[in-house]
Amino acid sequence: MAEVHVIGQIMGATGFSESSLFCKWGVHTGAAWKLLSGVREGQTQVDTPQVGDMAYWSHPIDLHFATKGLQGWPRLHLQVWSQDSFGRCQLAGYGFCHVPSSPGTHQLDCPTWRPLGSWREQLARAFVGGGPQLLHGDAIYSGADRYRLHTAAGGIVRLELGLLLRHFDRYGVEC
Amino acid sequence: MTAAGPSVFLLMVNGQVESAQFPEYDDLYCKYCFVYGQDWAPTAGLEEGISQITSKSQDVRRALVWNFPIDVTFKSTNPYGWPQIVLSVYGPDVFGNDVVRGYGAVHVPFSPGRHKRTIPMFVPESTSKLQKFTSWFMGRRPEYTDPKVVAQGEGREEQPS
Repeated sequence: MAEVHVIGQIMGATGFSESSLFCKWGVHTGAAWKLLSGVREGQTQVDTPQVGDMAYWSHPIDLHFATKGLQGWPRLHLQVWSQDSFGRCQLAGYGFCHVPSSPGTHQLDCPTWRPLGSWREQLARAFVGGGPQLLHGDAIYSGADRYRLHTAAGGIVRLELGLLLRHFDRYGVEC
Repeated sequence: MTAAGPSVFLLMVNGQVESAQFPEYDDLYCKYCFVYGQDWAPTAGLEEGISQITSKSQDVRRALVWNFPIDVTFKSTNPYGWPQIVLSVYGPDVFGNDVVRGYGAVHVPFSPGRHKRTIPMFVPESTSKLQKFTSWFMGRRPEYTDPKVVAQGEGREEQPS
């Protein structure tokens, strides 16, 4: 079995119109992959930037996978939410990126999007908060039913991920 | 002496259609498809997709973000016909019809690792002024019946864009 180590951090987010952001993240893999150690999903703290516009989380990610096949290469999916002074949470953006496939350290910028509703819902979101959300998280990392959605851009999530591979050359895989 | 049979290799493509810059247009969606030679065949994943419709963000960047996944594995015996990804972007015109806003194509990178590609997009142009006005009015812009022609080199002399 070939092994993959993903070690890095979700650094933070920038470009969102809301401050006080937190991120719920998860890693989705295909059926041939098995998580040997590490947690597959988590949530960062809420960060409010004091200087500049980037909210920093520095949330560590350390995952160890074993795999029998390349299909279903891990994808990191993110949901960025903002929290207001009353403690209510509002969706700021969904995004995903594939875990890199070449060994070494990589700086990744993951763009995000959020569903737009009708103009009534957009007006309500501006005044009262709330706004449409996805019922099923798999539209974030899968392209299957995306054509039903109308979305707008959110900000960018910055990640630094390092990758270590083991035994891939035994299976004839060049990385 | 035995002749060696053709060896099969696999090409796995993982990535996303991240975002677009179209200063003049808004509310766009994109379709991707792969064009490849005869020795190639997709073995896993989706070789076509339609993204969501995205609107420009309200902030100063005016970004159009799709973050649309691409996940496909090809099997082949020959690098000739290396797959190209063909992108077509569509959006509504002033009358509400869906018209094409751009076509573009690029080869899937040859070396393993992380790659970022920015593709210029072009639209076929009507040849006469009357046709230009009629197509603007009726919402039926010149469009390719099969977007895959964008990936071919032959016949390009005839197409103004």
